[in-house]
Amino acid sequence: MRVETREQDSVLILKIHGKMMGGPEATTFQETIKQHVAEGYRKFIFDLGEVDWMNSSGLGSLIGGLTTIKNAGGELKLAAVTEKIHSLFLITKLVTIFESYDTVDEALNSFPAGK
Amino acid sequence: MPLKKVGELSVPSTLDHLADVDQFTEGLFRNLALPREILDDVAISISEAVNNAMVHGNKLDPARKVLIRFYVCSRYLRLVVRDQGTGFQPETVPDPRQEQNLLKTSGRGLLIMRHLMDRVTFQPRRGGMQIVMDKYCPQDCYGGTERNCA
Repeated sequence: MRVETREQDSVLILKIHGKMMGGPEATTFQETIKQHVAEGYRKFIFDLGEVDWMNSSGLGSLIGGLTTIKNAGGELKLAAVTEKIHSLFLITKLVTIFESYDTVDEALNSFPAGK
Repeated sequence: MPLKKVGELSVPSTLDHLADVDQFTEGLFRNLALPREILDDVAISISEAVNNAMVHGNKLDPARKVLIRFYVCSRYLRLVVRDQGTGFQPETVPDPRQEQNLLKTSGRGLLIMRHLMDRVTFQPRRGGMQIVMDKYCPQDCYGGTERNCA
């Protein structure tokens, strides 16, 4: 798993590549989110378009990220969720807790302007 | 073609070995003629079973091993994952889809394995728990026309 980070319009976009399978990378990912929140970021997009596959630990990483961001009063949106990941969201009912958009641009536009 | 063991791996129960298991799995996939979607289902399910075996079975004790065996016949793949723990009752695992469990960061592995694989069975063994998972191949697993697993 590899994460590319960029900022656009005060939104932090994390593009995740590879397999989200847990292990030490998942711990690093959580620490990264906490660090960005500590730096003051409150608007996040996780771009999942380059994720090869995800298991329950990967889902746990997304939930951990959502909790960290929400607890700080922030917002998380998902973008480019693949069909495979969407099917996992459906069977686990996580589709009800994540806000998802087809593209990063759509996710960016969904944040209220000027906030 | 009868069910044949094509690979075996034993790893210590530390999460940094999950990547080794994935590499082992990908290596075995090179000999199979299956769509990537099917292989991903199998890879995800192995990762779930090994993670459970390490964390819940072996309590992340590096001295305890997780054994992974991979079998193939022309009609299906069979994965066997065995830990050295004291076992558990799958039916006692809380349903992660319940409202009160939705924000938990773990507890979805069994649900995902059962969804992605065609058959999942738990077999308590002396000195550990064994999980056996089968995935049927839409065509011959090796790309031929043989459909017999006798």
